[in-house]
Amino acid sequence: MTGITRRVSSTLELSGVSRFFGQVRALDGLDLKVNPGELVALLGPSGCGKTTALRIVAGLEHASAGNLTVNGVRYNETPAHQRDMGMVFQSYSLFPNLDVTENIEYGLRARKIPARDRSKRVSEMLALVELGSKAKAFPHQLSGGQQQRVALARALAIEPNVLLLDEPLSALDAQVRSQIREEIRRIQIELGITTLFVTHDQEEAMSIADRVGVMNHGKLEQIDTPIELYTNPSSPFVASFVGLANRIPGEVTAAGGVRILNQSISLSRAVSTFAPGTKITAIIRPETLILTSENDPDATRGLIALKSFLGPLTKLGIAVEGSPLIHINISSSDVKHLEIGQHISFKVAASEVMAEHA
Amino acid sequence: MAAIMKVSPFKWIFIGASAFLSLLIFVFPLFAAATYSFRGEAGKGRSLANYRWLLEQDGFYPNLFASLKLAAIAGILTLLLMVPTMVFLNLKAQRFKPLIDFLCILPLIIPVVSLAIGAQVAMPEVIQNSEYELVFFFVIIALPYTYRAIDTSLQTVQLKTLVEASRSLGASWFATILRVIVPAIRSGILGALFLAFALGIGEYTITSLLHWETFPTWTVVAAQQNILGAIAISVFSFIGAIALLTLISLLSRRGTKRESLESENEGALS
Amino acid sequence: MKSGVVETPRKTQGGRLGSQVFPLLPFFAFTGYFLIWPVLAVTLRSLRGNEGEWTFSNYTPLLHGSYLHAFTTSIKLSLITSIIGSLLGALFAYVVVRYASGKFSAVLDSISAVFANSGGVPLAFMFIAAFGTEGLVTRVLKTLGWDIYAGHFTIFSFTGVVMVYSFFQIPLMFLVFKPAISGLRKEWLEASTNLGATQVTYWRRVAIPMLLPSFFGAFFLLFAGGFSAYATARALTVGTVPLVPIIIGTLVDGNVVSDQQNLGDALAVGMIIVAGVAMIGYVWAQKSAAKWRQS
Repeated sequence: MTGITRRVSSTLELSGVSRFFGQVRALDGLDLKVNPGELVALLGPSGCGKTTALRIVAGLEHASAGNLTVNGVRYNETPAHQRDMGMVFQSYSLFPNLDVTENIEYGLRARKIPARDRSKRVSEMLALVELGSKAKAFPHQLSGGQQQRVALARALAIEPNVLLLDEPLSALDAQVRSQIREEIRRIQIELGITTLFVTHDQEEAMSIADRVGVMNHGKLEQIDTPIELYTNPSSPFVASFVGLANRIPGEVTAAGGVRILNQSISLSRAVSTFAPGTKITAIIRPETLILTSENDPDATRGLIALKSFLGPLTKLGIAVEGSPLIHINISSSDVKHLEIGQHISFKVAASEVMAEHA
Repeated sequence: MAAIMKVSPFKWIFIGASAFLSLLIFVFPLFAAATYSFRGEAGKGRSLANYRWLLEQDGFYPNLFASLKLAAIAGILTLLLMVPTMVFLNLKAQRFKPLIDFLCILPLIIPVVSLAIGAQVAMPEVIQNSEYELVFFFVIIALPYTYRAIDTSLQTVQLKTLVEASRSLGASWFATILRVIVPAIRSGILGALFLAFALGIGEYTITSLLHWETFPTWTVVAAQQNILGAIAISVFSFIGAIALLTLISLLSRRGTKRESLESENEGALS
Repeated sequence: MKSGVVETPRKTQGGRLGSQVFPLLPFFAFTGYFLIWPVLAVTLRSLRGNEGEWTFSNYTPLLHGSYLHAFTTSIKLSLITSIIGSLLGALFAYVVVRYASGKFSAVLDSISAVFANSGGVPLAFMFIAAFGTEGLVTRVLKTLGWDIYAGHFTIFSFTGVVMVYSFFQIPLMFLVFKPAISGLRKEWLEASTNLGATQVTYWRRVAIPMLLPSFFGAFFLLFAGGFSAYATARALTVGTVPLVPIIIGTLVDGNVVSDQQNLGDALAVGMIIVAGVAMIGYVWAQKSAAKWRQS
């Protein structure tokens, strides 16, 4: 702890929150509860409604229907500037005409906090984001990462109920991105602040959040811990959006399973049943594919078309007739004898697969 | 934004006040001039009498063509001078940007009247005896606007990448400028061309001070015989210029429209 | 972050100054010969007496009497019209950026460009059609009970010139100032609101400080433009309002005796000096934002 006084963490709850733009349902009955001190990430493709949800929480947009509460108190009608929510925007949100100190104390001035308390608070915040040396710099003199740290400090300076992060890392370089990501998580845990984080980057969401909500077409498809989401996706959309997945064509068998490649496998319970004979696309994680001997009755033969070294793992791209390139991850210590152009046999080592209509 | 706007009842006050003022200051006079120009002989009824009168004047066509010719040459000269200069400036010689910035804003600051007097002092007879003298000064007077137009569109393209790609594929400098850069900044080029042209067409000050006769100076002389005719010319040239400029700006917007639409959707939904 | 990126090319460019200047020579030659040289030439000639001697005597008439009056009238006119123009133009720019669709705003741009740049002579005639004794606006206002000709007003007076100059000053401000308003990011208002500030606070602490340099810059441009405008006043007043450009015009048009030629030179240089002061104001306005403005 850096000696920063903070309030008791808040609970943020959305129930049935919707937002319509004319005919378009940008957000369609969102139910979401963020527990005190929890970091929930909303993940989804562009246009899925995640940013709309965040902006409704912040009061920058109003909900067409539904309830928004903080600690049980309805917030729908509270004007944005009275909500006490700290928000970090995607980029360029620092006031360019104010230096770092003035930016951070902007919210404190709006609250008429006396100068002495303000400057104390500013130096605490600067220490928190490790930018003490830049107190008098103007935004354009800072790097993208530094700007976002100032934006975080500015949002936290007002001791918000809830911290809202709107794709705060998407404008940054890959290296800076993971560094700031870890910093955000460290500070969030340190302050125990309830946080809603919006991103389209699944790796970002999975690595930072306590729970991840996957959104599609204005709806929450599934909300769970990262590991649950990865291992037990509730829908093909979640399965293919979270983590890497092969999409392999196949057909539903009379027994209710699916036939893909050379194998029959049962369908995941999470998927509604298909009529036998339906063409489907099975979603298979690279790590559930394993190399096997040629004699294995389940084996599928293919040609190594791609080999890329990823450190401990090596990714193979295997060309199989009637299917897009299939990716397999295997331990790098096992690939020495494998070369591009070589024939290889593999099979699916899972008892259930997720599938959707082809 | 919608929620923020709730606190602002100013919206309709602002819109109402601006609509009223712009109506009073711009639309109404233009409308007034238009109705005047269609006034019949002896001030009765509606007719094209004033426009007919206009076309019957001996000076109408020669002066109109003289103006069109000079303005067109000024537009072309502007492009020949400014496109290579601006491309090179943005590509290789950024350090001269402040200086060229300054030179290009100067024509707004130096009174055209003073420039005209200076031209009489400084230009040799060869230049002073030719009406094409005006072209050079049209280019100069249009510089602040044409410079801005080309510069703005150059800022929006990845000039360096374009040039490197083109050059590495074996294109000469000439081909690079003509076939890669020019299409990429065509909206700016079109804008600059039109600005120089429009300015040339309407230029009065330097033309009259250097004692040349073009369409605008002829208009002032003609007005002394028939004020309604002069008003008809004004309406004619105004509507024509506005229509042409609008057309060009809408055309050049088409190229960029897709992108901006996409980003608008992004903002609304993501 | 950018500092490294910016500094490196500068260093490598250092040795190639010559090769950098060379392609810019046509531009420097053109502006040098057709812009700088005429200004220099008239300045030099204004400092010569009738016998070719160096003297300031050409400038003495400017310091009193009718020529001084012309200067004060011109300055007063451009001050008043640039105040009107900058305030109303800024209002229009704000409303259009904030509430108008892209297409409508493009059309307004074209109209403003025509009013501001190519309007000189036609504006005067349009103004007569609207506000002349028989003008449409005049008659409409009269039926509404306001006879604008009841007092001493005529369109050929100072007030008339102020009105007709607003025709191009307002659109010019609109065009020049609109980019500055568009430059206000919606994130700033949102961040400000999110941090608990009212709209008033946002305007006081962020928007107005950010717009002021552009506003003053535009104001000085308007001033310079209004000060040197010639066509509109010439077509409208035929010399009833004593403005410096008009006086120069009559000197040039008349059969110039050499005394008057020197006087014309001095008046022209006097105008450059006044406009130069506006230019200093413009540069100052730009500089005052340099502290926080990028590049």
